[in-house]
Amino acid sequence: MNYKLDFGPVLDGLPNLLWGSAGTLGLALSGMLLAIVIGIGGVVLRDSHIRPLRWLVIAFVELIRNTPFLVQIYFIFFALPLAGVRLNPTVTAIIALGINGGAYAIEIIRGGVQSINKGQVEAGLALGLQKAQVFRLIVLRPALRAIYPSLTSQFVLLTLTTSVAAAISAYELTSVAQRIESDSFRSFEVYGTVTLFYFVMSWLVMSLFRIIGKVSFDYPIK
Amino acid sequence: MGTGEFLFLLKGVQWTVALSAIGFICGGITGLVVALARTSGSFVTERMTGAYIALFQGTPLLMQLFVVYYGLALIGLKLDAWAAVAIGFTLHASAYLGEIWRGSIEAVPRGQTEAAKALGLGYMARTRDVVLPQALRISLPATIGFLVQLIKGTSLAAIVGFTELTRAGSIVSNTVFKPLLVFGIVGALYFGLCWPLSLLGAHLEHRFAAAQR
Amino acid sequence: MIDTRTIELHRRQVLLAAAALLVGTAFVCQSAVALTPAEIKAKGKLVVGIQGDNPPWGFVNSSGKQEGFDADIAELFGKELGAPVEFVPLAVANRIPALTTGRVDILFATMAMLPDRAKAVQFSKPYVANTMGLVAAKTTEIKTNADMGKFVIGVPRSSVQDTQVAKNAPESATIRRFDDDAATIQALVSGQVQAIGSNMFYIDRLNQASPGTYETKLEFTRLYNGACTRLGEKEMNATVNAFIEKIRSNGDLAKITKKWMKQDPVQFPTSVEGVPFEVN
Repeated sequence: MNYKLDFGPVLDGLPNLLWGSAGTLGLALSGMLLAIVIGIGGVVLRDSHIRPLRWLVIAFVELIRNTPFLVQIYFIFFALPLAGVRLNPTVTAIIALGINGGAYAIEIIRGGVQSINKGQVEAGLALGLQKAQVFRLIVLRPALRAIYPSLTSQFVLLTLTTSVAAAISAYELTSVAQRIESDSFRSFEVYGTVTLFYFVMSWLVMSLFRIIGKVSFDYPIK
Repeated sequence: MGTGEFLFLLKGVQWTVALSAIGFICGGITGLVVALARTSGSFVTERMTGAYIALFQGTPLLMQLFVVYYGLALIGLKLDAWAAVAIGFTLHASAYLGEIWRGSIEAVPRGQTEAAKALGLGYMARTRDVVLPQALRISLPATIGFLVQLIKGTSLAAIVGFTELTRAGSIVSNTVFKPLLVFGIVGALYFGLCWPLSLLGAHLEHRFAAAQR
Repeated sequence: MIDTRTIELHRRQVLLAAAALLVGTAFVCQSAVALTPAEIKAKGKLVVGIQGDNPPWGFVNSSGKQEGFDADIAELFGKELGAPVEFVPLAVANRIPALTTGRVDILFATMAMLPDRAKAVQFSKPYVANTMGLVAAKTTEIKTNADMGKFVIGVPRSSVQDTQVAKNAPESATIRRFDDDAATIQALVSGQVQAIGSNMFYIDRLNQASPGTYETKLEFTRLYNGACTRLGEKEMNATVNAFIEKIRSNGDLAKITKKWMKQDPVQFPTSVEGVPFEVN
């Protein structure tokens, strides 16, 4: 048997691969937005006075961080319908990514929030700011700036994790690659090329975050 | 769901643990080499290992498994699913552990290396007896954290058809048609494997932070 | 944690190295596998690719042992060659790649004879037939191919059902592809899809889970399954064909078919369009 490399099917499928990449980025960015919402919300609830709420957040974070993403997405897609909640692959993927990213975001952001000097909060309250304003301007923004690199690398990881959504037939790069592979049987060529696509995409996401970081946190610290 | 099905799930746990162990141990040995190469001082070696690490950290684990699974056979290595997947996880772990340990090697105070050099210790003795013990201790929380990621990552072997815990769950769910129960149990089993390790890692992190206060 | 500086610095190196690697493998890859029955006997085992989750064709039972129609046929073939069989369960889409890359020696893996597949692998004479159709809940209204357009249909990726549904369903049908039979059936049971492209046994499995809920709506085609060897391996192909002729005539095939399919073997055609049975 002579296995000769043949990139023909890959080149033919290039438009589809690019669309698939767009799908990946779409899922990733939507998942990130949801993750940030869950992250900030979780941080607020985590330090609430109501104990059950605190326990709820802790349980949520521990559960999500100690179970595999594939099992989480299988659960939402195949198991929840039997409890009455049926979501299509795209929505399932976004929710699963958001929940997964959110659990990590809660811990990361919380770390940043706890590093804010208590004196800052007291000064803000002394100046007559509302509690919500203090949280938003004095705690959250500097905290996000401090943990921004950690958050960026977590979100790059989220972009790569979208590949698992192929298992529930969501539309993204891996499932497009699998379709091309199943028609041509050129596994190594297809997956090798797609691996490079992901590498480029992870760099794109990182650069995007770098730009956002420069724009949002462009104030002097001291 | 009867005991037969539950035992099938436990068999899956067996494979998950085996895969994680091989990946962690073999990946650890390779990762140590990677970390040392990355801090060797030789410009070319450092750049090359840097590229190796960047490749594995910038691409999905699933793709890495696919490429190893299909690619190895191409260069003449006819291995079964188990071996191919084990190699895939080993390479993945070696890159991540290499990067974690590079960071902790660089975190060892420079004075230690200088003192060791002043005492006439060569590279091997310096690394083995002075730098590495301290570096590995610093790296414990992150290393344990990665072990948890690795255990979760073995679930992707299901997609290349290897019957570890997640795939066993899929098969059982397809026999008894109770996905809520089955995937709930599968999640609980993973939780049982990972959570104790996560707690250990967090505990160690607090201990080290306390020591530095 | 990813060091974002590292990735930034080494991105160019990686891309260059990867490009070099892909080009390099083109020169490194030479023929690695070409098998004859004598070599299999010498190596002491026959590595058979089979399905691990598709009863009654090929499935791994709860003790981890490979069973099924294909397993029985493969074991007989192993006896014929004088080598014990080692089974490698494969997902639907991995079957042909596993053979062409040398991971397995032969496929007894519910391989339906399709002209596209015949370009990648060598089929033997047929040894069993399989009817492909569409299964849905009794309450779902599907009477013609055109009706499929209103629904979401699930299929195992790269399977015959995949090709058949893609061919017969109108543009407006949404097709979802899953990794294997197990996931596809789960998709129907959980309502994520309203119909699934099936082989003749899905309905049995569904009836076990939920008796009387599902039925076969459409029949696409009858397909014949053959054993697969690599293109160009003349001796292997000749040996398999001789073996299949033998079990057809001595009653072994009928016995195994009755055991797993609960029916007699069908009349096999002497040729299937676009699919040669022999190496030429």
